[in-house]
Amino acid sequence: MPDTFFYHYDAYDRTLVSERVDQFRDQVRRRLAGELTEEQFKPLRLTNGLYLQLHAYMLRIAIPYGTLSSRQLRKLAEISRKYDRGYGHFTTRQNLQLNWIKLEDAPDALAALAEVDMHALQTSGNCIRNVTADHFAGAAADEIEDPRIWAEIVRQWSTLHPEFTFLPRKFKIAITGSPNDRAAVRVHDIGLRLWRNDAGEVGFEVIVGGGLGRTPMIGKTLREFLPKNELLAYLEATLRVYNRYGRRDNLYKARIKILVHEVGVDKMRADVEAEYAETRDGLLGLSNETIEAITRQFAPPPLPHRSAFVPDVERQKFEDAAFALWLKSNTAPHWMAGYRIVTASLKPAGAPPGDASAVQMEGVADIADAFSQGELRVSHEQNLIFPHVAMEDLPAVYAALGRLGFAEANVGKITDIIACPGLDYCALANARSIPVAQRISNHFSELARQHDIGDLKIKISGCINACGHHHVGHIGILGVDKNGVELYQISLGGDVDFGKTALGTILGPAVTADKIVEAVDALVTTYLDARAAGERFVDTYRRIGAQPFKERVYATV
Amino acid sequence: MAKNLSGDLQVASANRLSDGVVVWLGDAGEWTTRLDRAAVARDSRAGEILLLRARVEAFSVVDPFLVAVTEEEDGAIEPLSLREKIRASGLTFDAIAADAVRYA
Repeated sequence: MPDTFFYHYDAYDRTLVSERVDQFRDQVRRRLAGELTEEQFKPLRLTNGLYLQLHAYMLRIAIPYGTLSSRQLRKLAEISRKYDRGYGHFTTRQNLQLNWIKLEDAPDALAALAEVDMHALQTSGNCIRNVTADHFAGAAADEIEDPRIWAEIVRQWSTLHPEFTFLPRKFKIAITGSPNDRAAVRVHDIGLRLWRNDAGEVGFEVIVGGGLGRTPMIGKTLREFLPKNELLAYLEATLRVYNRYGRRDNLYKARIKILVHEVGVDKMRADVEAEYAETRDGLLGLSNETIEAITRQFAPPPLPHRSAFVPDVERQKFEDAAFALWLKSNTAPHWMAGYRIVTASLKPAGAPPGDASAVQMEGVADIADAFSQGELRVSHEQNLIFPHVAMEDLPAVYAALGRLGFAEANVGKITDIIACPGLDYCALANARSIPVAQRISNHFSELARQHDIGDLKIKISGCINACGHHHVGHIGILGVDKNGVELYQISLGGDVDFGKTALGTILGPAVTADKIVEAVDALVTTYLDARAAGERFVDTYRRIGAQPFKERVYATV
Repeated sequence: MAKNLSGDLQVASANRLSDGVVVWLGDAGEWTTRLDRAAVARDSRAGEILLLRARVEAFSVVDPFLVAVTEEEDGAIEPLSLREKIRASGLTFDAIAADAVRYA
């Protein structure tokens, strides 16, 4: 199996990554020998993705724009087995976190990653973090252009960018190439949306100042239409304005969203355009040759013609209700007839969301090789995607995923919960997330009921930093600590769908951990009682408002 | 029955430098992975001294700090905060095993 159809590292990339490993190996040696203090060492380990959490070091491995090959996933499994406890956690930024790494092993783990062109760069620090993208990129039927081409161009520009290594705060960029926003572009520092204008040209809507965390904000349009070849120069101008005017006096006010909020988007735009006028004709203009060279690396794999009507699939749909539900929720339209995009649910009933064992990772890699051109994507919703599956192979993929425990027909449903690691792992958390997700998942595990409830996104964060994206959950759950007791604040109505992006509204007083499942059940019951035909939970909420939900929840808990 | 819930009792904790494992400072000035072997400071002044000792012994650990604990009549100690209880006892759910294909 070839190493797939996306960007291949060249000698420059490999040298950069391997030199970084050597550098970090020496830094670790000096720290263990006492030649570096923790104060000196901490920023060095963080720039290599190594955090110190509650119980151990955590290595955050970058999976740029969520694209993985089967070979890379096998290596992740091997590393998790050799240097960790044999499992990993796929995150809401399309990364993988290993939670039990030893400092003394970290350089070897990074060296192993480098063997498959992977690293932990841009996973920490006040730099431009790993670019995220639509997890159906390169496969979606509704895609205008593959956003990974631009994510890769941004990666090459941003990696170790000398001017933007010490920004006021971290900086996150997301790109979608589809009108259906699966990358949550309006809640990133910069969101880029590829779209086609009336003249038939494809360019970017540049959205700035979105974000979650302590002060959630929806991004504002900085440029309605930016020609593609101007992308880097315009990003550079935007980052320069932020780097110059972003606040460095207050950690909580340092993100670009605060700058945009304080000066207003019109002033921000004027400053960016002024900077851009000075620099637009510089070195960052993208030549057609450069764009084409990157584009060629993301050329679609050769997909042989396959039938869009497969009698065996149709028969199994009638004979196996779970398979029929799985087809409905876990597969999505591909740009080529006869193919589907398949989502492996990393949310089996009661499991920690986004976790996969080494054996499961290897099993997924095998499925990718056999049925999806060796390609995979990681979603910010903490699932794994097979982008190119022939319809006739769907029964085999379903069966293989079932053997791995990843065939739960729940994608987009109430148990497809996003949850951060929470207080079980994270040094920043105030409350646990995973056990809450597990209890909700177990409570609603019956598949027919989940499909009756329909699309419903629950997102759980263990602290205000909002790694679990609770602000944009249809039901958002935020864990807080009040006098040593875990409480959970519920918000309703959050959404990241394009054109409907909204931040959730807090329902009322926080509930105790032992009441959270009852509270969610009361919300669902209220929706089921009130819904009109075709309405999702969030649609009903928008129509009837919070009051009926509030009354039922607080009468229950 | 807990003997002291006021938070006056404290132990010194840190993460071991080489692997990040949670450790506590023992009576003999050694870092131990066993909470029951931690030296207990019984008032705020003793706590300050314990923290100073921990910092002196910090060559092999990262960022020592004081943890408020309770003490049972049998001498067993337990952290007061949930965060420190989790640090002392580990995950509150079962992580999936390396060779597992199913959770539970």
